[in-house]
Parts: sequence; structure tokens; C-alpha cells
Amino acid sequence: MTETSDTLQVEFRNVTKLYGAVAAVKELSLGVRRGEFLTILGPSGSGKTTALMLLAGFVAPSSGDIIISGKSVASVPSYHRDQGIVFQNYALFPHLSVRRNLEFPLEMRGMEASERATRVARMLERVHLKEFGDRMPSQLSGGQQQRVALARALIADSPILLLDEPLGALDRNLREQMQGEIKSLHCEFSKTTICVTHDQEEALTLSDRIVVMRAGEIEQIDTPEALYDRPTTRFVASFLGEANFLTDREFKIESDARTSDAMPMIRPERIRIIPPNGRLQADNGEHQFASGTIASMIYAGPLRKYEVRVGSTVVIIREHVAAGQQIFRPGDEVQLEWLRSDIRFVAS
Amino acid sequence: MNELRKIWRVPLGLTIPAFAILLVVFGVPAIQLFLISTNAPSFSITNYHAFFEQPGNILILLQTIKVSVVTTFICLIIGYPTAYLIVNASKTASAALIVLVFIPWLTSGLVRTYAWTVILGDRGLINNVLIGIGIISTPLSLLYNRLAVYIGMVHIVLPIMILPLVSVMYGIDKSLVAAARSMGARPVLAFWRVFFPLSLPAVRSGTLLVFVVCLGFYITPQALGGLSDAMLSNFIAAQLTNSLDFGPIAAEAFILLLIAIIMLSLFGLDLSGTQSQPDSVRKSEYGWASALRTLRRQVGEFVVPLRARRWPKQLYQPVHSGRSWNTLAAIFVILVMMFLLFPGLIVIVMSFSAGAFLEFPPSGFSLKWYRSFFGDSSWTGAFWNSLQIGVMVTVLSTVTGTLAAFGLTRTSSRIRRVLMLIILTPITFPTIVVGVACYLGLVNLGLIGTKIGVVLAHSIGAIAYVVVIVAATLSNFDQRLEQAAKSMRAGPIRTFVRVTLPLIRPGIIGGAVFAFISSFDEVVVTSLVSGFSLRTLPLKMLENMNQQIDPTIAAVGALLVLMPVLWIVALYLTLWRSRRAHEAGLPLAGLADRAEVPSSAAGQRQ
Repeated sequence: MTETSDTLQVEFRNVTKLYGAVAAVKELSLGVRRGEFLTILGPSGSGKTTALMLLAGFVAPSSGDIIISGKSVASVPSYHRDQGIVFQNYALFPHLSVRRNLEFPLEMRGMEASERATRVARMLERVHLKEFGDRMPSQLSGGQQQRVALARALIADSPILLLDEPLGALDRNLREQMQGEIKSLHCEFSKTTICVTHDQEEALTLSDRIVVMRAGEIEQIDTPEALYDRPTTRFVASFLGEANFLTDREFKIESDARTSDAMPMIRPERIRIIPPNGRLQADNGEHQFASGTIASMIYAGPLRKYEVRVGSTVVIIREHVAAGQQIFRPGDEVQLEWLRSDIRFVAS
Repeated sequence: MNELRKIWRVPLGLTIPAFAILLVVFGVPAIQLFLISTNAPSFSITNYHAFFEQPGNILILLQTIKVSVVTTFICLIIGYPTAYLIVNASKTASAALIVLVFIPWLTSGLVRTYAWTVILGDRGLINNVLIGIGIISTPLSLLYNRLAVYIGMVHIVLPIMILPLVSVMYGIDKSLVAAARSMGARPVLAFWRVFFPLSLPAVRSGTLLVFVVCLGFYITPQALGGLSDAMLSNFIAAQLTNSLDFGPIAAEAFILLLIAIIMLSLFGLDLSGTQSQPDSVRKSEYGWASALRTLRRQVGEFVVPLRARRWPKQLYQPVHSGRSWNTLAAIFVILVMMFLLFPGLIVIVMSFSAGAFLEFPPSGFSLKWYRSFFGDSSWTGAFWNSLQIGVMVTVLSTVTGTLAAFGLTRTSSRIRRVLMLIILTPITFPTIVVGVACYLGLVNLGLIGTKIGVVLAHSIGAIAYVVVIVAATLSNFDQRLEQAAKSMRAGPIRTFVRVTLPLIRPGIIGGAVFAFISSFDEVVVTSLVSGFSLRTLPLKMLENMNQQIDPTIAAVGALLVLMPVLWIVALYLTLWRSRRAHEAGLPLAGLADRAEVPSSAAGQRQ
């Protein structure tokens, strides 16, 4: 890690958290830059939630240290840390109105009543809930509750914002809308934001960088694009998007970049299907080919997903639906074509 | 016959047997009682007037209210922190603690009262210990005063306070307190601003239940208090045995009932339980709760400058959690559990005493009091009576109660609420009122002093327990399973036998166990309706407690204590087995979740 501690807002230094003999988080080292949107992505049990709990101060690390704004916070309780948290189920106080919910963090910081009222009014306007200040949380829709939770986390102007599966409880349409909302709030308030999720789409659309975790350890840290385009491990390649692993038996991919335990991988949208008698690219060495049989075809709106059997391997291909395109049916003999440069080698 | 069949098709038809028993034994006589108290048909308030004309009566009434208020208050002070610590303990510890609270609640109140006479008596545990270590030379008189009454009453009603609190506190989302802390609220403040307001509905219902149960207390003040500690119940019971003039008795019963009803409607007892928490939170936004909130807000503004100064200073300051606090909490819980369980244990230990008197610690070990119990035909006869009555009550109330529960869960929620309230009256009204009404009901039927009479009188309470428990199980039962069975061409009867019954069996067994225990321990109503000929075990024990202090009753007490414990073990094993069988039974925590409703109905257990 090349960052110095003044550009880092949050830093994990060799943090381990043991539950009994099981390490939920193992030797975690990670720096989060000021103003960055960092997502911790992983399946359940990967330790991502524990990482967030450690950061929030709800659990203490078994060993290692956590630095926030240059201060060690390993034994600082959550109520002495200045941070806003959006909880998975929002954790809106059911006995307080929206207004009183938003006032709560300000009150804890000893803000005068008049100042609180101004801030709450401004924040309610910002999240388009101006008329809802006197409602109780139970009288709001899921999306509105989500916005109250975000507003409550942002209102005290804490430098750090933590999001725990922020969109998990919303349906698909609302989720896309809220992704936009979170993105714009992040641009506007430029808080250092750490988000925990198992939803890869959420991670890809929101984050500056993504940390993929597996079994308590970091698998890879990178920008969303780099992570999708150049995964370093088989786990990352298959957890983020779909991946075809090209076995030696059928494909025999050779490359200078290939190390002994590396496995060639290609994304489904990088492969083209062409009829067996169709024109083949003049082979200038940039393309590779394989022949197979269509096993299934699924039409999914803008995309068409094929499964093609090549020897004993099934290759997944995604094609954008376009006018005048040839449609293949199960049983059709086809040729597959891809660019040699689209092959990635991942550690298995 | 066809008409009858049609009635059974309507869900409400299933509630007919239960309501028939309730009406004949309790409902109609209660109305009759009211008419008698007003001298119907001439309608006058002379009986009420006569009651309030006597300063002594007013004194007893005020004393009843005062004792109930003080007991309730002590229960709240002890019960709230206990419930809080139970909920926040580790999973195993909290399940174990709930069982430890349940056990005394299930064991006979009569025996537990008796145990206090042993602990506090002149030759009792405390005096013997104090004399033994030489602090005092003559016994302190700890018994037969107000303090003893409070100790005994708090001991008996404390579980009724703790169980609803625990059930509601379990429902409070822990992330809310975490959220408050993350926003800068220190633990005490997070508790006070978030956890406490959310637990208020349980505080309200627990307080009300305990208060109403206390109003009807009869045995404990009589056994532990002095002559001046009598409550209205004792007064009513004494008149019922001595006089034949029903007017004043009816008036007194209704005055007691009126106080209970006023309290219930004033603070709005919500028997619907925890399902609608946000609503019930909102409902509490009137009266004292709202005043309290405004006051708190005002005080809050005072500390604003203080917080403003403190915030930057404390930011990123480490805090080391106090271990001493945890130790203190553990000691507190242990003390409360000892208070709840110790008396029962004392009785068991004492039943093996070799001495000729009741004394603790016993001077030697022997089984002679068990021998004297089993050798005395008046005791064994009473035991048989209790057993027979218990079994009959169990069968009658389990069948009618289960049918009623089925009918109730399949009707609209509005009708259900009303009918549920009615069916719960035998266990929410002050016991003595139920007793007086039952007495009148059995007089109507000519069944005073008969086993059938006692069975009917016990059944109305037992039905209420069965309905509450089976209805709770049914509300978790997915009716689509029945539809699925019917789609596979199973008829209604086969669907019930093959699908519904196996799934709700734990609830029915639980209801049956409660029905048996409630009948086996019942003594207040029994003492009024059993006439002079019929003796149940608790009734004979009560009489012997008053007449002679004979350790045989320790053996009886031990049997009465152990019986429910054995039952609960059997019940738990059944539930546990059924859970293993289809992974969907009631875990013990589930039993506790439902504790609110049965405990809301805990009236009879003194």
C-alpha cells in the first residue's frame, strides 16, 4: 500500500477477529482514501459484515489496530466515533417521528434546538421528504424509509458513512433508483463511504474501489472495471459476473503470460457465435476458434444467452439482440470465435 | 340434524361448547350477581351505600388498593431489570433463566405461601440462622405483618411481571440501540431514549396484570399477614361462609371488579400481544406517556450545552467496559432467581425432615411425613379427588378449548378480539369475583359440593389457558398447508387428522398441561364451591395450614411443587421431540415469546 496516512481516512492494520477458534476476519489490512466510495463485496460468511462491525465499533478486534482519521480506535466505543451508519433494516426508531429520528444524532452532539430544526428541514428537502417530517417510520414506504436512514446518517456531517447492505430490502426498480440517489449524495457530500454488500451489481455501479472478501481474507482490491476485466483469481472471476474457464482438454490455450497454475478465462460477452459455414476471420493470429453444438438458448430481453457444448465443457455466451441477427437453435452446429487478447489468466 | 351440521360448518359454531360452559358457570351468574347487588327488580344502591357507610369497609378497600399498588411497584422495580438482563444474556443463559422464572409460576401459590411461613416463622429459617450465629437471642417476629404479606405477594406475582416484559423486550430490534450508539448516544442514554420507550407497552400490560391479580389476593394475606392485613377478598370469602345474604357480597365483588375494570380501561390492556408493536407504541402517545415525553424533552434541552462541550472532548476517547458492572448484574439476577426458587426448594427439603415440628434446617432425614401422608386416608382421598378432577378438567377443557381456538382463529379479527376478551375473563378478573360467581352458578345447577361442580368451576379457567395457547400455535400455522392437502384430495377430516393435528399437537399438549396444572393447584374457587364434603389436595392443605403446623403438609407441598416441574419436563421433551421430528416445533424461546398471552392470563395462580 503506497498511500500515506494523511490521504487515508480509515485503515485496518492486520486486524483479526476471532469468534471462539474461528477467525471471522483474518489479518485484514486495508486503507480507505478520504472521500472514496469503497465496497466490501463477498458471499455470506466472508467476513464482510464483521469488517463493518469492527469499523462501526460494535465489536472489538482480537488483534491488530484500526485507524480512523489518524487515531487508533480499537478500544473506542461506537458512541465516541463520529460516523453515520445506514443499517441493513434501516433501524429507524419506531417510536420517533421522521423529524425526531433526524434530530437524534444532532442532539447527541449538543446542537441547539433552532439549529437542529434548520438542519433537519434542509436535509428533508434534500432527500425529497419535505412533507414527511411528522410521519412515523411505519407510515413510510420502503424507499422513503431508506432515504430517511440515509439522511439520518448524513445529517451530523460525520466524515465517514457506513452502509450495511443498503439496498437489500428494496425491490428491483426501487433499487436502481436508490443507487442513483446514493451516488448523487456521495458526490454532493463526498464522505468517505464504506459499503458492505453481497450484490455485485450494487458494488459495480456505486464504488470507486471494490474489495472482494472470501473466508475472512481479501481476495482482490481494484476499481470495478479492473476487477471485472482483470480478475486475478478464479473466485473473483466467477463471483463477479459470469466466467467461462477454458480447460486444457478442449481448448489448449497457450500464452507467454501463463504460469503453471493459471487458468484461462473468458467473459461470455467476449465470444461470438458464427455458423459453421459462415465466414471466418482471416486468421491473422489474433483470433481463436472452437466448434460446438448449441445446448440451449434463453431469450432475456436485450440479451440472448446461449449454452454451447464444446467437448465436455459448456461455454456460456451472451449476445446483444440486434436486427438481422442469426438465431441459433438447440442442436445447431456452430463455431465460436474470440480475440486472443480477451483471454485472462486467473489463479485457481 | 342438518341444522346442527350447518352450525358446525360456521367457524363460530366451534366455540359453542366452550361458551356454553362459560355462560352457565360464570357468565349468567355474574349478571345475576350484579342484579342481586342492585336489589333487582326494584334497583337500588342500598347494598353499595351500606358498604361505603361503614368506615371499616372503606379502610379495607383502601388497604386492598394500597397493598396491590405497593406490590405492583416492587414487582416493576425488580422485574424490569431482571427481564432486561435475561434478554441481554447469552442465548443459553437466557433460555435457562426463562425456565427458572416459569417454574415458580407453574408451582402452586399455596405451597409457595406456605414456604414463606416456614422461612419467616419464629422457628423458621431466618430466625434459626440469626439465633445460631448469635446475632439475636429471641426470635424476631417476621411473620403475620405487612412486610411478610409484601414478600409473599411479590414472590408470587413477580413471574407475571417478568414474562410479558421478556416477551416484548425480545421483540425490540437490537440494531436500534446500536444505531443510537453509533449516533453518539452513550449506553445509558441509548437505553433511556430508545429501548425504554419501546418496552413501555410491556411495562403497562405487566403492571396492569399484576395489579389486577393482586386485587384478588386471598390466601397470601391471610396466611402471612396479621389480622389487620386482610384484603377485600378475605372479607368477601368470610361473609360467603357465614352469611346467606347475597346482596352485600355481590356488591363487594362488584366494587372489586369495578376497580379492576377501571384500571384496565384507563390504561387500555392490549391483549393482542406484540404483533402490532408500532401501533401499540403510537397508542401510548396519550396521557402520562406523552406528558413524560414532553418532560424528558424539556430536561433534554438543559443538557444541550453540556453535550456540546463534551462531544469534541470525548471524540475517539477509548472506553474500557466495566467488568464490575457485569458482576453486579450477575449477582442481581442470581438473587432474584434465588428469591423465586428458594421457597419451593425449602418445602421439598423440609418434607424429608425427621423432626416433629416444622423447622428449618431439618434435624434429620426421614420419609416419615410421606409415610404419614400415604397412610392417612383423608390425605390420599383428597389426592385422588384432585387427580380425578384434574383429569376431567383436562379432557373437558382441552376438547372444548381447542375447538374454540379453531373457531376463533377463523373468524374476523374484530369478533375474535371481543370473544377472546370474554373467554379470558375467568383468568383476568380478580379470583374472588370468579369464585363468588361460580358459587352462584353451581347453586343454580345444584352442584355445590360435587365433583362435577368443581370440574365445571375449574374448567372455565382451564379453557381460557387452552384457548390462549392453542390459538397462539394456530396463528403460526400456515393454512395453505390445509389447502395443499385438500388439493391432493384429502377430505376435511383426513386433512385435520393427517396435517393440522400433527402440526399443532405441541400447542394442544401444552394447553392440556396448563389445564391440568391450573386445576390441580386451584384453591380459592374450590374453597368456595366445594361445600363441606369434598376435599381436594390444596384445599386440605390450606385447612391444615390454618389449623395445625404439621410437617405432613410439607410432604404435600413437595408433591405439589414437583408435579408441575415433572409436567413441564414432559412438555418440553414432547416439544423437543416434535421439533426434531419436523424441525418446526416450538423451541423454549418460542414458548417464552408466547409467554405474554398465557401470563396475561395468570390470574388464578395464587
